[in-house]
Amino acid sequence: MAGAENKSGRKGSGRDAGSIRQRLDALGEELAGAQARHHKAPALAPQSQGAALGQALRLGIELVAGVAVGGFIGWALDRFFGTAPFLMVVFLGLGAAAGIMNVVRTAKRMQAAAPSGKDLPRVLDDDDD
Amino acid sequence: MHQFEIKRLIPLELFGFDASFTNSALFMVIAASVITLFTMYAMRGRALVPSRLQSVAEISYEFIANMVRDNVGTAGMKYFPFVFTLFMFVLALNMLGMVPYSFTVTSHIIVTFALAAFIFLGVTLLGFIKHGAKFLKFFVPEGVPIVMLPLLVVIEVISYLTRPLSLSVRLFANMMAGHTMLKVFGAFVVALGLLGGWAPLAFMVAFTGLEILVAFLQAYVFAILTCIYLNDALHMHQH
Repeated sequence: MAGAENKSGRKGSGRDAGSIRQRLDALGEELAGAQARHHKAPALAPQSQGAALGQALRLGIELVAGVAVGGFIGWALDRFFGTAPFLMVVFLGLGAAAGIMNVVRTAKRMQAAAPSGKDLPRVLDDDDD
Repeated sequence: MHQFEIKRLIPLELFGFDASFTNSALFMVIAASVITLFTMYAMRGRALVPSRLQSVAEISYEFIANMVRDNVGTAGMKYFPFVFTLFMFVLALNMLGMVPYSFTVTSHIIVTFALAAFIFLGVTLLGFIKHGAKFLKFFVPEGVPIVMLPLLVVIEVISYLTRPLSLSVRLFANMMAGHTMLKVFGAFVVALGLLGGWAPLAFMVAFTGLEILVAFLQAYVFAILTCIYLNDALHMHQH
């Protein structure tokens, strides 16, 4: 919106506030139309808050599951080879790494799936001139 | 707690294993019959302009069909019946658990883990059937120096193995924690009501609503993760 205001102010031939306001209104209407065309369903359902809660829980469990599975594999290998507790320590670390990797991937997927444009305004032309 | 107890309704022993028909099994049977009866009864008219009940059945069909199509693509529609059954089963179990004095099957980790392990094994087998030995490439990240590969492959394999655990723990933990919290807070309603009037009861009503939302949401998450795993097996998308 700030960009639109600047442009109309700079290029404006009409000095008076009335014509500037008119042009601003026209631009605003055009912008709203363009935005509506770009993303058809920006309305967030009220259940999106619940979905956000679900996503947060998902990430937490993802992190813990990595450590748990890593620890379990290490424990099982230790029992098999009789090398307790070295492999368990190693695999706990590897499991933590796997858990973090899972969290990053899940977060990336969530970000890709999230509808853009509601939380942050879409900036089509953001060069500072 | 009393609501999580397993009771043997019909004691039965098969080959040395305790295969009794329990209240858990009873509620699974109830869930399966509720789904079957509901869909058959709702669709009995086969009207072009659906009645209200028929709309519910059609909406649930379309909901899952779109989920499969969006996440797995048109090739995944072959597996739509599986995902639909899974979603409806988990949803029915979760929702039946919200009925007072009923039993929540999904609040037991062995049930959710069995479901998740079945999905995990099925999806892995599917990957090997579709791609053969090439499916192992799934565990090898691209563009990584050879020196780092052994470490990263181990991490990738562990990350793959966490899938059944995180899938089952998520559903189980949400259902059990929710029901436990309902029980604990519910025990305070009368005592706190002497101080706070109707406020504790109103809070409990709101909390029950949240639990119903969680019950739906967890069934949804279970189904959508199944779709994502299916997509990985079918198309081997590198993350």
